[in-house]
Formats: sequence, C-alpha cells, structure tokens
Amino acid sequence: MRVFARNHPIWTVIIGFATLVFVWLIFALWPPFLVDVIGKKKVFLSALLNGITLGGLYFLVASGFTLIFGLMRNVNLAHGSLYLFGGYVGYFAAEWTGYWLMAFPVAFVVVGCLGVLMQLYVFRKLEGQDLRQTLVTIGISIVLADLMLWGFGGDFYNIAAPDWLSGPMETFIATGVKRSTGELIFLKYPLVRMVIFFAAVVLGVSMWLVLNRTRIGMLVRAGVDDREMLSATGARIQIVFLGVFAFGAGLAGIAGVVGGTFQSVAPGEDIRFLLASLVVVIVGGMGSIPGAALGALIIGVAEQFGSVYFPTYAVVLTFLIMVVVLAFRPQGLMGER
Amino acid sequence: MNALTPTGTTTQTVSENALELTGMTKKFGALAALTDINIAVQPGERRAILGSNGAGKTTLFNCISGDFPPTAGTIKLFGEDVTNFPPQERIRRGLRRTYQISLLFAGLSVFDNIYLACRGVSRGRFSFLRPKADDALIASAEELVKVVHLEDVRDTIVAELSYGQQRQLEIAMAFSGAPRFILFDEPAAGLSPTERSELVEILTGLPAHMGFIIIEHDMDVALRVAQSVTMMHNGRIFKEGSPEEIENDPEVQALYLGDDHE
Amino acid sequence: MENASSINRKHLAWIERIPGQYWAVAILLLLMPLFAGDFVLFQIFGWTFILGIIALSLMFLAGYGGMVSLVQMSIAGMAGYMLAIFGDSAVSQVSQGWPWYLTIPLALAIACLFATAVGWLAVRTEGIYTIMITLAISAAFFYFTRQNYDIFNGFSGFNSVVPPALFGVNWRDPVAFYYLSLFWATVSFLAVLYLSRAPFGLALQGVRDNPRRMAALGYNVTAHRVAAYAFSGLLAGVGGILLTWQSTQISPGTVGIGAAIDILVIAVMGGLRHPIGAFVGAFIFVLLKTFARDFLLILGLGGERFQLLIGLGFLAIVYFSPDGILGLWDKLRNWQKRDHLLEKKERNL
Repeated sequence: MRVFARNHPIWTVIIGFATLVFVWLIFALWPPFLVDVIGKKKVFLSALLNGITLGGLYFLVASGFTLIFGLMRNVNLAHGSLYLFGGYVGYFAAEWTGYWLMAFPVAFVVVGCLGVLMQLYVFRKLEGQDLRQTLVTIGISIVLADLMLWGFGGDFYNIAAPDWLSGPMETFIATGVKRSTGELIFLKYPLVRMVIFFAAVVLGVSMWLVLNRTRIGMLVRAGVDDREMLSATGARIQIVFLGVFAFGAGLAGIAGVVGGTFQSVAPGEDIRFLLASLVVVIVGGMGSIPGAALGALIIGVAEQFGSVYFPTYAVVLTFLIMVVVLAFRPQGLMGER
Repeated sequence: MNALTPTGTTTQTVSENALELTGMTKKFGALAALTDINIAVQPGERRAILGSNGAGKTTLFNCISGDFPPTAGTIKLFGEDVTNFPPQERIRRGLRRTYQISLLFAGLSVFDNIYLACRGVSRGRFSFLRPKADDALIASAEELVKVVHLEDVRDTIVAELSYGQQRQLEIAMAFSGAPRFILFDEPAAGLSPTERSELVEILTGLPAHMGFIIIEHDMDVALRVAQSVTMMHNGRIFKEGSPEEIENDPEVQALYLGDDHE
Repeated sequence: MENASSINRKHLAWIERIPGQYWAVAILLLLMPLFAGDFVLFQIFGWTFILGIIALSLMFLAGYGGMVSLVQMSIAGMAGYMLAIFGDSAVSQVSQGWPWYLTIPLALAIACLFATAVGWLAVRTEGIYTIMITLAISAAFFYFTRQNYDIFNGFSGFNSVVPPALFGVNWRDPVAFYYLSLFWATVSFLAVLYLSRAPFGLALQGVRDNPRRMAALGYNVTAHRVAAYAFSGLLAGVGGILLTWQSTQISPGTVGIGAAIDILVIAVMGGLRHPIGAFVGAFIFVLLKTFARDFLLILGLGGERFQLLIGLGFLAIVYFSPDGILGLWDKLRNWQKRDHLLEKKERNL
C-alpha cells in the first residue's frame, strides 16, 4: 500500500478522503438535510450491508473461477453450472439430513468430484489448447443446464436457514434516536447473512494464507507464473492442477448453497452467477484472489445501491463499472499486464 | 537485387555511423543486464557480437529494436536519436531484426509471410482491395523468396516447413522493404552443416551498403561473415577487434575454454 | 488455408477457376424455389442464410483474426432495434417512421459503431479474455434492452417491423425473401473470401498468428483488430436487419445469452477455417432446431430436450473435430486420397 501511495499521490488523497466521508456516513447520525437528499439512513445501511454480504457471495463464486484461470489458463464457463449444481445438491442434503450445515461439505465434495471428473477426462486431453478448453466448458454448461432442468424442474428451491441463525441481530450502528426516550436505535440485520459473510472472509483469508505461506501454495503460485518450469522441477503438476480444479469447483458448490440460502436455487441462476463471476474478475483482475475480493465488494455494493436508488438501471450500473475498468485499466484493478 | 536496394536517396555524410550506442545501460530491477555499452557501427559494416549465455546480447538487441527502453544512454540510427521511438518508427527508418525463435505466421504460406513483411513498411496496410498481379510489392516479395532459396516451397504453409526452412524464411522477413541495417539473432541455431554454409553464402552475398550485427554462438559462422567482432561478458563490452585478433586473443580463449569450433 | 490449389490454375480466367462443386451448389440454390415449398424456402433456408451471415461475422473475427467474440448477436440485434426505432413498427410511441433509405444505412452505421466500441474495449487485453469480455457486454446489452422502455420498449420489444415494398414486391413473400436472403448471404460470403487475400485480410491473419512480429514489421496491431470488429459489425448488422424482417419483431429474447452462444455453436460446428463453414453450421443448426423435437420423441426423450442435443453435439464436435464439419470433411478427403496410394500420387484437389 505504501508503494501505491508513493506512486499515485493524488489517488491516495482522493481514496483517503472518500473513506473518511464514508466512515462518517456509517457511524454518525444523519442531519435532516442529508435524509432529505439521500433518503433514510436505515435504507442506506441496509443497501450497504446487503451489498457487502452479496459481495461475500460473489467472492466465493469468483475466487474459484479466478483460481482455475490463474493456474490453468482455462476460462471455465461451466462455473455457473457448478454453482447451480451445488445449490441443488446442498438443498437436498439439508432436506434429507435435516441439518443446514451438512449442505456445505456435501456440496463441496460432490461438486469437487464433478470437477475432478472434468479435469481428468476432458481438460487433461486438451492440455495447452486454451480456446478449445473454453469451448468445451460452454458445451458442458449447456448440457448440465438442461440435465438439471430435466432433473429438478423449473421450480425455485430455497434453502431454509436453521433456527439458530434465523432472525435479526443487533448491530452497533445507530440509525436514529428514539423520540420518546432519546435512546439510540440500532440497526437490526439478518444474522444468517452476517454469519455467512464472516465465513466468506475467513475462507478468503485462509486461501490467501495457504497460497502465500505454505509449500503447496508456493507450488500453485509457481505454476501460475511458469507452468513449464513447475513440471521441470519434478513436482507432480497434474496433481496440482487436479487439486486446484477440484477446490475451485468445490468453492462454486459452496457458493451455490449460500446463494440458495440468500436467494434461491433455480434455472437461470447458473448464467446469472457466471456473469457475476465474469464481471467481478474483469473488474478485480484475473488470477488474483485479492482482486476477486475487491471486485466482488465493488460489484456487490454497486448492485445493491443500484437496485435501491436507481431501480430501473441497477444491472446496467455494474456493467458500466466493468466498461470503465476495461477502458482505462484493461487488466483489472489488481491484475498484472 | 533490386528488392534489397534502397529506393530514394539518403542524406548521410560518410562519417555518420549506421548505429551508435552511447552509454547504454539496462537494469531489470536490481539486475544489471547491460552496463555502459558503447558501440559504433559504420554503414555497410558487418559486426559480430559474441559472448556466453547471459552476457546480455539479446537484451542489447531488444533495446536497439525498441522492445523496451534502456535505463540510460542513447541509441542513434543513421545519426537520428531513436532512443524513445516505438519499434515501428525504427522499422520505418531501415532497421530490421531476426529472432532467436522464429516469429513467423504459421497459418500462412511462405510467400504470404514475406509479402506481409514487405507491406509493413509501405502504405496501404489497411487496403481492402487485392493487389494487381503486377504490383511492385508482389514483385519484391517474389524476389526475396528467391534470395533465400525458398522458391520450391513458395506456397507451403509455414507450419509444414522444416526447421531450417523456417529459419531461412525468418531471414527473408528481415530483408523486406529495403532495410539499411539488420540485427541477426543467432540465425545459425539448430541448422545442419549444409544449411549453415547456405546461411554464410546468403549473408556474405548481401549488398555492400547493408550493414548488420550478428549474434552467434557458432564462432565459425560469425567469424566468417564478420569484419569486426565485439565480445561481451556480464553485460559489458569485454574486447573488440578483427576476427583474427579475437580468435587468437589469449584472454578470449581463457574465457571460452572448451567452446566448440564446429 | 485455401491457396495451394490456385497456383496451378493461374493461367485460367477467374471464372474458370471456381471449382465445380461451387457451381453445382449455386445452381441448386438458384433453382430451389422450383421444387421446395414455402416453409422450406422461408423458414429453413431463410433462417440458414440469416444465421449464416451472423455466424460469418464471428468466423471472420475468430478464424482470420483469432478473436472469439460472443457479441455478434448483440450487434445484429442492435441493427434490428435501430431499424424498428427509426422506422415503422406497431410501437408508435417510440418508432420515428423514417423512410427505408434513411433507416437501413443508419441501422448499419450504428451497428458498425457499436462493434467498433466493443472491439476497442476487448482487444487491448490478451486474446483469452475476449470471450469473457464480449460475453459480459452481450449480457449487458440484453439486460439494458429488457429494462429500458423509453428507447427499446423493454420486455415486449418491437413488432410489425416489415421490409419496404420496393419494386412493388412484398419481400416477406417466401420466394422473394428466399432470394433476398440468398443474395445477401452470397454477397457477404464473397466479400469475406475476397477480403481474406487483400492486404487487410492478410494482415489480420498475421496478427492472429504472431502479433509481436506484426508490430515489429510496422503494423498497428490494435488498429487492425478494431477495424476487423468494425467490418464484422457491418456483416452482423445485415444479418440483424434480415432477421428482424423475417420474424417482423425484435425483443430482448433475440439478443439473449442463449442466442449469442448459438452463434458460437454454429460457427464452431461448421468450421472456423473457411467462410462456407458458417453456412454449413447454420444449415445443420436450423435442421436440428426444426426437426429435433420429432427426432427426440423417436428416441423416447421429451421434445424439450433440444438444448441437451445441441450441447452434446457441440461437445462431440469440439472434442473430436475441432475444425468442425469442414475438418471432418477434410479428414474424409485425405482418407480417400490415401486409398489410391498404390496407383497414383495424390491429385491436386
């Protein structure tokens, strides 16, 4: 960060100033004129928190996508289908066992296995032919989407959060003052969304730690930089590829469970989350986990703010951000040329 | 060989160097690939640059051709300071280069490759109209095919050529559009003895006004085509002289003890 | 590509050089209305030519330029939308009612501009990102047309968009439309074929094969790529206008993700190496789409499993013959050549 500050002094000042304004907006009680202009603080905070937690979900999906691309240069356009499949699997796992928490490991393992199968029987044969691999993922996504439509029908499935997670929690952010007693009113926010968000953060941090502080992570990063060198060192590169693809697929599966809890599992969600991954990764930078986090946060918040304050063009706002990034920094905010 | 003769006149004094590098330095982070390189090559001079791997030879070429700017120093091409010019500007002033690993258009034929090279420095690159059969550029391209002895495979797709033929094509690309100065990056790499003699023939048969610098590991080829030799070591110039002087120099021999004279 | 055979025939006039198969197909197509019914002419062939033109615009970018673009259907749709917005339609509160000699060039120009803008956004990164970026832009266009009511009339789109009655002909009449779309398909096909050997087309292929060398030869690689997108936009625009006239309507569904991917499927299935591949792929796609339902019922699957069929077919092609149907055809020809090895050396086909 210090390097950034040294190289881009003007941007640093702008970002610093914006951050201060932002922090004030969150913690201070809003004066009436601000409420007239923007609307109620409660609405603002809801949108913000919804955006951040949605960003967590987007991070889960996009990080798997960017991990697979970063190492294997494979644009896996079947990633959305993996997400959706995870959602369905998670739903049935939760239904049959009765435990919501069971949905996660089951989805991770099942979708991860599907990823292993894809890597072993499809991608390995097409090693080195990036375009062809991508075309194959398109074909796979078409087939998977129709199979899921056939098998699960067109209904919306919603994965119910368990009782101990449902309901609102009290946050420490004040939205107003009780007129009668002068007490501060604190914002209440759904517990399950907060919990999932923190889980996503923990997962993201662990991924970063594994990539940057362990031997396995070093192997993966070396492979990202130079595939040929990695195989020359004798490391079993195919095992590394297999592991990464399985993990990336598993992540998509877990994200499917989260999405099913936040929203729903239904046909069409695969395309929606594939597009979200694409936009997040284009904005944040390909092959970068921190980039995926940054991109996910920006897109999540932009989407929520858009749907609250500019409802007709909410989706367009996110694509506009993408176009701006493409125009001025084509490699993404944290991507390397 | 009118494909290789320059069109139009050039206003240059006799004493002006074709290529002049002054104090050129290139650092990659903390690594100094080139340090204080001073080279002057006259028009028509044939210079060989020798040195072991890592001596900085290819980095030198990359700086001269404009792939990246030097950290310090200047580059002058026929008296003009081109230090900050992009690659295509240097091309248009008569500089050409071949690459260690042939950079060819694998999906196109031999003739198409050379034609593209000829087109590159002339107008009409965006033309939507097909050229007429008597187009001047087509004639130049046809001649260049002959210069590098590739008439038999004129219409073969590059992907189907042998390695040696691809290297010959690589050289033909550098001859396009009447160059004034060429950089040859290890043109003999991987060639059979017959192909190497052909290469020497082509290089020594070039018109007198066309100077070049050749990087080579094969001392035989380099010393046969060069008039003067520069030896590099660890990013610096180590020795300069005529081919005979360099060949018999004890310091050079000590440094390259065991280096094969094939 | 397709150059080796021409060298032996240089002494012939250009018209004599066209291989016999092309003549046979041309005559067949010209005489088709004599023995084909209205449905075949209007639906099967009309749609084949239209999808073929749009897939050709993708083939131009992908086959000659090495850029796989998923935005072609959006560009076609943009032309169709502009035609409806500036011309006549049932949505009178938006349509301007301008005459055809203004709306058609305008629609094509806007499609071309749109393509250029997308090209500029997409070409300055590594080639592998092109699919992602164009897919995202295509999705953005889809969502925008669905949500915007002032210009694009949102979910319903425009209907009653018909071709002008030039020369007193109803161009939506099956025979007339057949010849109209055949004409434009032929023009597009010949244009792309011609352009592939012009300096611009050759330079584009050079950029595909080795952009670093092209830059070192003095070419502006980015400019060439963007120009290629512009030309492909023109092609897609023509296809889009014909598409709108054929169904007399245009709506967000026309430019959805499914439609965008269909074009990719068509181009890849036919083969990206030669312009004819786009039309071969389109023909097969249209046949499948028209008769798949019955075919699936025979197999015992529900008639709705069309996507599954297409997806499996696409997977099979990419897996076993990445050059599409044309690749299979080439392999077949080579296999036939080998059969006569004992008798003569292969003839130059």
